[in-house]
Amino acid sequence: MPRRLANPFSSSQSAMSASEKTGERRLSSSKTNRLSQLFSSSPKSKDQAAMHQSQMSTISPSTVSLPTISLSTATGESNTVEPTTTLFKPQSAEEVERRQRVEAQFGPLLSPEHLYTSQAAGKPFERPIEDEAPYYYLLTTYLSYLALILFGHVRDFFGKRFGDRKRYQPLKIHNGFAPLNDDFDSFYTRRLKTRLDDCFARTTVGVPGRFITLKDRKSDDYNYTYRYTGTYTETLNMSSYNYLGFAQSEGPCADAVEECVKKYGATFASPRADSGTSDLALEVEREIASFVGKPDAMVFSMGYVTNSSTFPALVSKGCLIISDELNHASIRIGARLSGAVIQSFKHNDMGHLERVLREAISQGQPRTHRPWKKILLVVEGLYSMEGTMVNLPGILELKRKYKFYLFIDEAHSIGALGPHGRGVCDYYGVDTSEVDILMGTLTKSFGANGGYIAAEKHIIDKLRSTNASTIFGEAPAPSVLMQILASLKLINGDICPGQGEERLKRIAFNSRYLRLGLKRLGMIVTGHDDSPIIPVLLYNPGKMPAFSRQMLARKISVVVVGYPATPLISSRARFCVSAAHNKDDLDRMLIACDEVADLLQLKYSTGIAGGLDPLPEGVAPEDEAEWRKNTGTPIKAPRWKVEDVIRRGVVDCKLPLR
Amino acid sequence: MEFDTLQVRFGEIAHVVSSNFQKLPGSAMLARYIQSSYQNDPVRSAIELILVLFFIRYLMSPSYSTHKQNFVKLREGEIEELIDEWTPEPLVADQTLIEEIENEKLPVIVGPTGPKVKLSNGRTAINLASYNFYNFNANDQIKEKAIQTLRTYGVGPCGPPQFYGTQDVHEKAEADISSFLGTEACIVYAQTFSTVSSVIPSFCKRGDVIIADAAANYSIRKGLQISRSNIRWFKHGDMGDLEKVMKSVVNEQAKSGKLTRRFVVTEGLFETTGDVTDLPRLVELKEKYKFRIILDETWSFGVLGRTGRGLTEAQNVDPQQVDMIIGSLSGPLCAGGGFCAGSKDVIVHQRITSSAYTYSAALPAMLAMTASESVKLLQSNPDVLVQCRENIRALRAQLDPRSDWVVCTSSLDNPILLLALKPEVIKARRLTVDDQEKILMECVEESLANGVMITRLKTRPYANAMGAKDGDWTLQPSLKVCVTSALSKKDIEKAGITIRHAITKIMTRKSANKTI
Repeated sequence: MPRRLANPFSSSQSAMSASEKTGERRLSSSKTNRLSQLFSSSPKSKDQAAMHQSQMSTISPSTVSLPTISLSTATGESNTVEPTTTLFKPQSAEEVERRQRVEAQFGPLLSPEHLYTSQAAGKPFERPIEDEAPYYYLLTTYLSYLALILFGHVRDFFGKRFGDRKRYQPLKIHNGFAPLNDDFDSFYTRRLKTRLDDCFARTTVGVPGRFITLKDRKSDDYNYTYRYTGTYTETLNMSSYNYLGFAQSEGPCADAVEECVKKYGATFASPRADSGTSDLALEVEREIASFVGKPDAMVFSMGYVTNSSTFPALVSKGCLIISDELNHASIRIGARLSGAVIQSFKHNDMGHLERVLREAISQGQPRTHRPWKKILLVVEGLYSMEGTMVNLPGILELKRKYKFYLFIDEAHSIGALGPHGRGVCDYYGVDTSEVDILMGTLTKSFGANGGYIAAEKHIIDKLRSTNASTIFGEAPAPSVLMQILASLKLINGDICPGQGEERLKRIAFNSRYLRLGLKRLGMIVTGHDDSPIIPVLLYNPGKMPAFSRQMLARKISVVVVGYPATPLISSRARFCVSAAHNKDDLDRMLIACDEVADLLQLKYSTGIAGGLDPLPEGVAPEDEAEWRKNTGTPIKAPRWKVEDVIRRGVVDCKLPLR
Repeated sequence: MEFDTLQVRFGEIAHVVSSNFQKLPGSAMLARYIQSSYQNDPVRSAIELILVLFFIRYLMSPSYSTHKQNFVKLREGEIEELIDEWTPEPLVADQTLIEEIENEKLPVIVGPTGPKVKLSNGRTAINLASYNFYNFNANDQIKEKAIQTLRTYGVGPCGPPQFYGTQDVHEKAEADISSFLGTEACIVYAQTFSTVSSVIPSFCKRGDVIIADAAANYSIRKGLQISRSNIRWFKHGDMGDLEKVMKSVVNEQAKSGKLTRRFVVTEGLFETTGDVTDLPRLVELKEKYKFRIILDETWSFGVLGRTGRGLTEAQNVDPQQVDMIIGSLSGPLCAGGGFCAGSKDVIVHQRITSSAYTYSAALPAMLAMTASESVKLLQSNPDVLVQCRENIRALRAQLDPRSDWVVCTSSLDNPILLLALKPEVIKARRLTVDDQEKILMECVEESLANGVMITRLKTRPYANAMGAKDGDWTLQPSLKVCVTSALSKKDIEKAGITIRHAITKIMTRKSANKTI
């Protein structure tokens, strides 16, 4: 009887199960972990203290969140809970285990206060203020790269002559074959990335939900090869694009998928244009179209291909693609394949975009000065490396004047933004008819795979016959389609009413809470306040592996990114917040970040980008600038104590962030 | 007060600088030289100063011209006018008639795919249009494994392989495939269609040379296009011509003294013609002229050879001699995604340079597990291949020799029978490619009306693809009939007769003759 889950002891049991988990984790903890614990105050004890504190401060959280936390509502059972029958009945071991598994994928909501609606507050679009680190860090970053490059070249020079023959063979002419990799091309990979290779492609097991289980591995030869130690580590998952927490192996979606596999098998074994079009695919397309607010839509089996095959179908020679400089690689590949001329504009810079547009339209095509056939502006809704959102209102204003077509890649924003999870248009309250083409992936928020294109019916009809991946590429698998369908219905409230809304509100709260917390700790965080992608700048390349390993030692998995995915100097760690996290998880994250930031000197924000100390009584946030002028209070660099961050976070993150 | 200290400070600095300058060897000489040369010559000083300034400006300016050469300077008013006047074409052109019919007539399957499918119009048809050659899709063992995987991994991996998207099931699938094929390593992509078009540009860069078969499929062409390499073509399946092209490339490079990477790109079974590559000869040529082979086995993996290992097994070639083997997991294997197998260096290199791998989410765990399972099934139960081949023979016997109108271009073991109109028919009726397309489309419809679903090789996308205009090879519109081992020989024969009759009916119709 899953109904038993909703008993008033659930929160204390969740604490208990968490401590049990930590016990397990200790067993598998590695040496580095113990060492780091020696040097830092133990994260575990703080963790539990924080958990305890949160329980004290909220009024019987379990009863309040009763209808929403339990995934048991998903099974469609009636919701009449009889507390007297379940109150004192001890749970069977099986039940406890099942609940632990469910909660490892999707954390229970601790308090109804931990909800927020993601929505533009009606203010004009503001570019997030970019904070800058002191010159010392910039200088040392350049010096680090210089040292890496020098050492790399010296090692290459001697390695090719005296080094291990097998390792250097791909770089040399061998048996009349030119080297497979240019040593220049692969220099970065071999000499820089190999050093931090253990932070990438960590093998995982099981569901990438609230927690993610890593297969422990070790390298005896400086990351050339790995061997598995046979142990596993369960870590807090701040890395997966699991925005709405649909990475689950239990619950309504998984049940629907299981039924679907039983009925449909694993595949349609054919492209859409041959015999891969099924009733299921059409239903999913209808559902997606109505979800994003467009008349028609089509699905693809891969997000990357959605972009790379749609551009050639939309534009050709004689057309112009104007693309944000930070657009994703799939857009660039698609644009290149299309044969159109490509121009980029500075990230989110409307002034620059307008200059580019004016020049493009007035000058026409290069050399011939013929007018462009059409101009397609390509932007992303939410940028995956920066956490910034597109300035949609600004673009639409330009669109009215300059008559270009607008293509928005909502790979990260669909599901993650907007009061209904319908992406940037929903977030800004913009009518979707103003955007010509909405593209998105189904990998991220929906826990499935693939991508979609939504547009007017005549556009989709034409694309069906001209898009190469519809004609030659495999149709999406039935299981994937069903996952999309079930998760969309859940978000819409068609099944398990309330659960979808809760997920949307949780990710909005979590994003703001963690972002504000990190800013208050003094770290430099980029991006918009409501974005669930939270990049923290690290600068020095050496800090990338250090940060990742330190977080791993604290049982948190994070993504670190450096050149070439980012500009050379701004290496960063990127946290992806999910609706599956609850406040305890974020507090654990904040505590860990606080420790690691102290260890690695990451607190260098100046305060101009937010996270400031609270204003004194009687000063409203709007009057802050005036107050500062009158009293001569300068902006102080924020260096909050982590206890204060956690104490004030819930209330403050719902106010305009400052 | 403050000014005074500043002055003192400045004096100190000046003093330190001058004393240090004097300490440098040869500094006195330099100072004397400058002094003497500028003493009486203000003009020279001015000119040299200008030179220095120009030099600095030159250093600071960007190395390329910021404005296109024929930039026309316009006044603001003119620009506004041009902007007002400019009217873009519609985002997409109108659908052509044939596209409209195609969209309308596209069969929609209700329920699972299999040897017999239910269509949305309520009828049931024999399905000879999907790559479900061995009907692994209905295999309960595979289904059960898929559900087990679902219950431990969920559906999507929610991230690209480099960022926690690699799951142990992917590694297992990779290991299973590479040990099945007999290569050192393997990498699994999330979609077949994008695999080869991403593998090619991850190795072939600007300046490298690629020799490709003239009949290469669409994905390969897209890969060639992205790679920006030097592309040469050889006549479809003609190893003699390939050798000629190889020789000329080698000679050119020997003359210029520049050795670049050189590749041959071809397919195991061709998507567009259905015939097979002579791999032993290709390997011989590769060794002789030092080319690397990229072999697209999308249509031959799981099909050719005793256990379905593909072309290498069928023609007894050591798979390690082929540098990259690309295959599909979404066809007969009934899973999803594609793979590239090869040596360890080749695979490791792709993991960060192949864009479809790094920039896309990993394959869902269920599909990776399904792939492992179906590879295992093929290995343990090669009888399905035998059965499938019998059906191929049976169907072929009904179509190729007995039809007056079509000829089958596929190789004998290929379960995809490509039926093109006979050259003499095309010649006699003077059919253009569009006419042929139309006729074949009607054949497909007619056949479906009689309860057998088949499909066509789509040729339209190739019109804009790279290389289509080079050489004398043109893509032949064909019917595509896919055999499945799940049907009995009798059913297959019956289906074959239906297709044959459908073709005859369309070809002998009055209106068909009228269009001549």
